[in-house]
Amino acid sequence: MKLLERILKYQIITSLCVLTLGAILFYFSVDYLIDREVNKELMRSKSKVSWQLRHIDELPVYILQLGDSLQLDQVRYPGQMVLVERKLFNEFENEYQPYRQLIFYERVEGGWYRVTISKLLAQRKQLLEAVVMTVTFIVALLLVSLLVLNSWLSRRLWRPFYKTLRALDSYEVEKHEVLTFPKQHTVEFEQLNQSVTQFTDRLAATYQNLKEFTENASHEIQTPLAVILSKIEGLFQDESLKESQLVALSEISEAANRLAKLNQALLLLTKIENRQFLAGTEPISLVPIINRKLRDLEDLIEQREITVKTDIEPTGPVMHPALAEVLVNNLLTNAIRYNVNGGTIDIMLNAGKLVVRNTGAPIHIDPELMFERFRKEGTHSASLGLGLALAKTICQVNGQTLTYETDGPWHILTVTW
Amino acid sequence: MKLLLIEDEKALATSIQNYFQRENFICEWAADYRTAVEKINIYRYDCVLVDLMLPDGDGLDAVRELKRTFPETGIIIISAKNSLDDRITGLNLGSDDYLTKPFHLSELNARVQAVIRRRSFQGSQQIRFGKIQIDPQEHLVLVDQQEIVLTRKEYDLLVYLIANKNRVLTKESIAEHLWGDDADLMDNFDFIYTHIKNLRKKLMDKGCPDYLKSIYGVGYKFSEQ
Repeated sequence: MKLLERILKYQIITSLCVLTLGAILFYFSVDYLIDREVNKELMRSKSKVSWQLRHIDELPVYILQLGDSLQLDQVRYPGQMVLVERKLFNEFENEYQPYRQLIFYERVEGGWYRVTISKLLAQRKQLLEAVVMTVTFIVALLLVSLLVLNSWLSRRLWRPFYKTLRALDSYEVEKHEVLTFPKQHTVEFEQLNQSVTQFTDRLAATYQNLKEFTENASHEIQTPLAVILSKIEGLFQDESLKESQLVALSEISEAANRLAKLNQALLLLTKIENRQFLAGTEPISLVPIINRKLRDLEDLIEQREITVKTDIEPTGPVMHPALAEVLVNNLLTNAIRYNVNGGTIDIMLNAGKLVVRNTGAPIHIDPELMFERFRKEGTHSASLGLGLALAKTICQVNGQTLTYETDGPWHILTVTW
Repeated sequence: MKLLLIEDEKALATSIQNYFQRENFICEWAADYRTAVEKINIYRYDCVLVDLMLPDGDGLDAVRELKRTFPETGIIIISAKNSLDDRITGLNLGSDDYLTKPFHLSELNARVQAVIRRRSFQGSQQIRFGKIQIDPQEHLVLVDQQEIVLTRKEYDLLVYLIANKNRVLTKESIAEHLWGDDADLMDNFDFIYTHIKNLRKKLMDKGCPDYLKSIYGVGYKFSEQ
């Protein structure tokens, strides 16, 4: 639920409670006031009637207010003055209506008279209706204005907030970007934006440092490795070495070579992640790359008696040619390395899609896990375990997707763009 | 043959120098940019090996300088930087080859020889070893004036072996020379053995003595003894 909607929810609940309570209070207070006023008027009428009866002995027609009625009855004994409420038939309205009657006794020329002043009461029902109507109207007005205010707020006041939110949503640390925003008048939003800017700034700097460190470290490792390898090669030429020493040296050499390869692969991976290979704008055709690679790998394919079937159209994604080369290379060498002797490789290249599938031993883990670095199924000691991780990273950086599926004996790698 | 090595890492420079001295090359060494430029301006070299990252300058400037003074000198860039941009800039400036560190000295040796061969006069472009004669331009291999037909890989292997004659060559360096980055696709080195065996057979069929010696556990050596 949006913040504004939540606020609105509480606002509505509160207003409804307050307005209901207010309406009840209003009803009773108005009722009470009217009641008091009626009584006061009755008393005033009583004084007028008494005075008239005592002094003038004749009641003028318009002594009372409109709608009130006066009744004089001769009685033998006076009684107590009472104030009663009863329903009387109103001929004018042709229905029973509530009246308040003040009954008192007055002595005129030795005889007692009972004086009854009846006053039509405003109907409670009508009052209640009026109050409910008014309150409902106020509630409706309030709700409408709240909604309007709310949408206006979200459109105007909250706009920078949503802008910041969207920017954060699409933020990718790999792009090394620092989020900056125009200055805001709202203090909180300005603070938020400043925090986000500082935060992403630090993040980008840290990420950059880390990547640079990795790259520099890999670079620095190359030189000592070159020294090691050159010294080993120099030693090989020493004819005084015994066979066992030569074998040990050869093993050192193999390990150092492997280290050098690993380092180069990691360096390449870091560079790709660092986006040092920017894609052009034109799609590049993968056909010449595939053909060249197949020619390079010809004798390996022949030696393992692998059948290669191709179904390729001149098409390809938008990417740096060097990366396309690495991608194709890694997919094809992967298809050869993990193939079975006498197996098959199918290469299909159509618009928006490159599929490389090969026969191979079944794998016992989720194929997608094969994209993890240093993940190897089985013991292919010569493999660095970085080939598919590199391919995946290349696709990620360029906005293509790479999937790995298995189907019976088939291992299917698909690049889509 | 006279080489200049521009490299700030002393240990590596000594290895390279020793390697080329065995080849009877004169290999001079400049540890920084200033010395390098001095030497380039005074002496004439057949080939210059340049490291791009020098403590007091950019190796690419040395390449420019060299192109200005002695444009016919062969240039090989040896760098820890494997960036495509540097490679392209280097080659555009007129360097003949680009080798990324770490590399096999035997590979460097083969490349230096190829550069010198390309840059020298027509006659000396021929490669000779014992009874073998190779015309690199025609990819023609003759043994006692009879042509032998080699596959592309066998031809590359033979040229590489001759370039590094009388030296022990490791299987990795041969694999890397022949298959480059795909060398690690070979789960074992039987594959090289197949090529070596075929090459040896083809050479011996034409009356070549067995120049190829296998060094147990290490690799091979190509020599006349």
